[in-house]
Amino acid sequence: MTSVHSIPTGALEGVHAGEKLSGLARISLLIGMAGLALGAWLGWSGGEAEMRHFWFSYLVAFAFLLTIGMGALFFTMLQHAVGAYWSVVIRRIAELTMANFPLLALLFLPLLIPLLDGHGTLWPWAGHHEGGDPGHAALLAHKEPFLNVPFFLLRIAVYFGVWISLARWFLRRSLEQDLTSSPTPTVRSRKWSSPGIIVFALALSFGAFDLLMSLNPAWFSTIFGVYIFAGSFIGNCAWMILCARWLQNRNLLTNQINVEHYHDMGKFLFGFVFFWGYIGFSQFMLIWYANLPEETMWYKDRITPAWESWSWFMVFGHFVIPFAGLLSRHVKRSRFGLLFFACYALFMHWVDMYWVVMPNMNAPSLGGPADGGSNPFGLMDVAVTVGLVGIFVSCFARRAAKHPLLPVKDPLLADSLAFENA
Amino acid sequence: MTSSRVYGVLASFTSVEGIIEAAKAVKEAGLTKWDCHTPFPVHGLDKAMGVKMTKLPWIVLGCGLSGLALAIWLQWWTNAVDYPFIISGKPLWSIPANVPIMFELTVLFSALSTFFGMWMLNRLPRWYHPLFSVPSFRRATSDRFFIVVEADDPAYQAPEIKALFEAQGAATVEVVEETITNTDWPPKIKFAAWAAAGLLMLPPAFVVKAKFSTSETPRLHLVPDMDHQPKFKAQAASSLFADGRAMRMPIDGTVARGELVANEALHTGFLGGEYVTEFPLPVDEFLMERGRERFNIYCTACHGVSGLGDGMVNKRAQEIVSPLWVPPLSLHAETVISQPPGQLFQTISKGVRNMPGYAQQIPVRDRWAIVLYLKALQRSQSGSLDDVPLQLRNTIR
Amino acid sequence: MADGVAAVDDPIRKPPLVQGENDFASVTDIVCQVSETPKPPKAWYVTFAAALGLLGALGASIVYLISTGVGVWGNNQPVAWGWPIVNFVFWVGIGHAGTLISAVLFLFRQTWRTAINRFSEAMTIFAVICAGMFPAIHVGRIWVIYWVFPIPNQMEMWPNFRSPLLWDVFAVGTYFTVSLLFWYMGMVPDLATLRDRATSRVRRMMYGVFSLGWTGSNRHWHRYERAYLLLAALATPLVLSVHSVVSFDFAVSQLPGWHTTIFPPYFVAGAIFSGFAMVLSLAIPARELWGLKDLITTRHIELMCKVILATGMMVGYAYSTEFFVAWYSGNRYEGFAFINRAFGPYWWAYTLMVSCNVLVPQIFWFKKMRTNMWVVFIAAALVNVGMWFERFVIVVSSLNRDFLPSSWHYFTPTAIDLLTFLGSFGLFLTLFLLFCRYLPQVAIAEIKGVMPQAHAGHGGSAATASDSPSGQVPPEGVK
Repeated sequence: MTSVHSIPTGALEGVHAGEKLSGLARISLLIGMAGLALGAWLGWSGGEAEMRHFWFSYLVAFAFLLTIGMGALFFTMLQHAVGAYWSVVIRRIAELTMANFPLLALLFLPLLIPLLDGHGTLWPWAGHHEGGDPGHAALLAHKEPFLNVPFFLLRIAVYFGVWISLARWFLRRSLEQDLTSSPTPTVRSRKWSSPGIIVFALALSFGAFDLLMSLNPAWFSTIFGVYIFAGSFIGNCAWMILCARWLQNRNLLTNQINVEHYHDMGKFLFGFVFFWGYIGFSQFMLIWYANLPEETMWYKDRITPAWESWSWFMVFGHFVIPFAGLLSRHVKRSRFGLLFFACYALFMHWVDMYWVVMPNMNAPSLGGPADGGSNPFGLMDVAVTVGLVGIFVSCFARRAAKHPLLPVKDPLLADSLAFENA
Repeated sequence: MTSSRVYGVLASFTSVEGIIEAAKAVKEAGLTKWDCHTPFPVHGLDKAMGVKMTKLPWIVLGCGLSGLALAIWLQWWTNAVDYPFIISGKPLWSIPANVPIMFELTVLFSALSTFFGMWMLNRLPRWYHPLFSVPSFRRATSDRFFIVVEADDPAYQAPEIKALFEAQGAATVEVVEETITNTDWPPKIKFAAWAAAGLLMLPPAFVVKAKFSTSETPRLHLVPDMDHQPKFKAQAASSLFADGRAMRMPIDGTVARGELVANEALHTGFLGGEYVTEFPLPVDEFLMERGRERFNIYCTACHGVSGLGDGMVNKRAQEIVSPLWVPPLSLHAETVISQPPGQLFQTISKGVRNMPGYAQQIPVRDRWAIVLYLKALQRSQSGSLDDVPLQLRNTIR
Repeated sequence: MADGVAAVDDPIRKPPLVQGENDFASVTDIVCQVSETPKPPKAWYVTFAAALGLLGALGASIVYLISTGVGVWGNNQPVAWGWPIVNFVFWVGIGHAGTLISAVLFLFRQTWRTAINRFSEAMTIFAVICAGMFPAIHVGRIWVIYWVFPIPNQMEMWPNFRSPLLWDVFAVGTYFTVSLLFWYMGMVPDLATLRDRATSRVRRMMYGVFSLGWTGSNRHWHRYERAYLLLAALATPLVLSVHSVVSFDFAVSQLPGWHTTIFPPYFVAGAIFSGFAMVLSLAIPARELWGLKDLITTRHIELMCKVILATGMMVGYAYSTEFFVAWYSGNRYEGFAFINRAFGPYWWAYTLMVSCNVLVPQIFWFKKMRTNMWVVFIAAALVNVGMWFERFVIVVSSLNRDFLPSSWHYFTPTAIDLLTFLGSFGLFLTLFLLFCRYLPQVAIAEIKGVMPQAHAGHGGSAATASDSPSGQVPPEGVK
């Protein structure tokens, strides 16, 4: 088991992106700004309802990117925790992705507007609860010690503190390793990965409760954090596959990442599609079966005429289709097959976030119209998501241009390069 | 009757590299009926031997989908079609609750087909193999790597193959002879097998017989503890209480549930010793509808849907010429039509002639509802065209 | 799934899985001598006698139970589900490690599993037998237990497929079947080894019949490995499903303390947690007793400790999430159920559960603790105690104070409860000791596959994926 592979010649070619990514960084930033501006303009010019739609839309895009970032952070720590070697060649992509956490913190700031405007635009508990159902008001009063603006902001700060410091620490160790052949930085990463995962898990689940679950403050589900975690992992896997493909199309990492690594990423994607289905079904089935009004309302909001087809799309599009599609090893090893399913999974992850966030806007359980109004999906959602993703990609590309795209002196790099699927 | 024949050439190697190289050489030599025998699956040997990918996964996929289909059909047919009953307010055909078993049966069928499919494709179990007679071959399951070329191979040439193995550095090379023995089953075993097969047919035969015959005796109860329970039945004696009765009298000053007579007219149909002539409760369409429903449940068995006394029970009693049967009156007889509602209520509650009282089965309001419906039923038989509202008259044919 | 994993041990590269100066023949010898020596160690006789005694107690208590009725147990309103269901969930949980090790770790290419998989699969099967026994004897009229199967019967009725209890029948039944197939299939090549080494006619016949005429043909190995991979791929979601379905028994209800959406993954994590603890409790004495230390090395023990630590943290996460959401939900009954759980009459059980399941595993952060066999053994035993009490807490503390305070009741088990539970250990240990004595405790063929000698030229990356199926599509480069 101790066979030591040597690093073949040419293995360190194409690991420095340099100027190759600056075009992407610039263009995506432009597209991003344009998209965001378009979205904001649509909201601004459309009146109060459209402005509210804009904030929900913004939260969808933000949650989409945040989950990808969390997935990348978890992926990195997991690889260290178990001492995996197959993933060394692609780990840097995850590391560069998670380095976007400061950007994500910055992107959170606009959400302070709907939080602090006193109307509960996004999070109903943050507004003055005038009138309405007295039971609901009593419930909000009960939750007030937790769901209040200062404490919420404090928690958000703590979550971002955790994410940013973990991401920075692990990226630093990895970059340190690039400069030395002593394994110390990797050893340290391994040592601290398990405690890191614990802190991360708490930040993730409470972050999910705060940002997404409390959009409907009356609703609660203990599994919700795990559900968001499953989505994060899918989002990150798909994102990493796409990044790797894109870099290879730019003649980067061509000698390093091969079908074996893609195959394993495909397996991860497949496995977590199943896991997501398992968690999603568990949550739905238990709520459906017990049929308690305080829980079913969340699903009832999502089977209104406006959302019913989206919900069915979640079942088939997010689970059945990718599950059946990725079952075969030929698909996971095929260039086009895996690329297609990575794009598809990333799209479905966005749909998932949309489905979690958006129905709260006109939810019957929150005093909205009984039929859930009409489905709000439109140009603004696309524009805002394109906007935020553009900024995210630009930041990623800027950083990727500065650092090697491979942990060039990782002690397990040679094993990873020689990795072969059984 | 034994004879012997050459099975093939067997060579052994001591290392993984040796067997892989030898397998490559044999494959290159164009031999087709040959195999390697190793104590564990050797990585790279499949490639060296050119073993084709097995079709097992397709078998498993097929069986797994059959399991899924069976689970869906089974749960739909048993719970939604053949024996529909509502459980905890769930729809008869409730897919979320059916998912766990769909999943389990898919996995079960896939796993069974994997297991049995693998042995079937490997043509195992086969407890006899010519190589088992070679003493050194026993190390094939411990630490030696064997390669064998069978004599059936069209290109089989023992000296050449031996030379090939020796050139590859085989530790041992030998020609294996196989002893052919009579493979027929001994008559005793044959007889026992037939007898066992015959006996195995007996239980299904009994099942078939039971399906097509009727039995006069009640079925056998091996554990009769639910048929004969240690409990007191109504009106039975008991030594436990001083008065010797198993049933208890109501405690003084209490009224049993549902036996409170709060409103004499409503609960008895009497008022001051006279039958009431007016309904002691508000009469509306709902009450009428309820009455029709209850009447059709409780009364039609004897009185018939129309109230003419032609219910199924009466028909059957006439048919078998029951000596005890008193045919029910037609509810449209003058003596019945003339009865006030209170009297009808009393009859339903307490019974008359052969008719038992229904006070235990039918709540008070429902009895009044039946009386109401009965009154309407009687009107319907004695009505004239004038009773029909003007605008509906031309719809009557 | 997807990581070729080295040991977490540093520096960076993993030590060999088989220690000492061993080759294929000596590994065969080490495993086979256990069943070939004429007499097992004295300790085996002692434990076997004790196990048989307990088995007798189990038999007696079951006969008494069936002839008298379920009233011999402490179950009564409001705690209608008492120890039997606790024991059922406890044993099913234990039964999770085997298939996890065989299937999940196989897919994750954790080659260290080869030393312990046979062992834990056997444990799984015996644990599931113990588990299945409890609901069966709990039904009251065991002679009509066939009603749980969709068999046409004289009442022309069908079982209720919308009931989680029926899902249990299918889930546990499937799990048992698949585990048995997996275990037996993995054992066939090793039974052939024992057959080929047999010196007596009886041994040759017995091992011969069950090894199905295995010759080690590579054409057979090819399909065998494919089948193994397929079974592993099927068993992995199955492991998730079994304890999830067990959790549905509780969670589909509306009872505070039972109805919470995190139950399925929480139960699965707990099951793996307790299963690994049981594997450790059995493996530590077994490797001492039968000289298997070269195969089940300290590193194996350490890795299992880490799995226990990880799953223990997941269980702790579930405990705290439940507590938080019980308050957050704003549902008074939820809140009461959890306050009652921690500070009510069963506070001692709750404290025991949290200390054993969350606090005790924390010692496994330290290598010194992970490598001290006594510490590991005691900690594993405590985890098992804690996991039994977890089920006890879930069942009893949620039921004993129901919605009607007049029916509140402090549950007390009877002597028969205790005897049945201890007796189930007798059943488990009897089967397990027989397995240890007569069947190969370690997967001989698999462990050979992870030895350095098993790889041609020691080149390529064969070192990593030795026990995984071969002969698939050759790797193609990506341009």
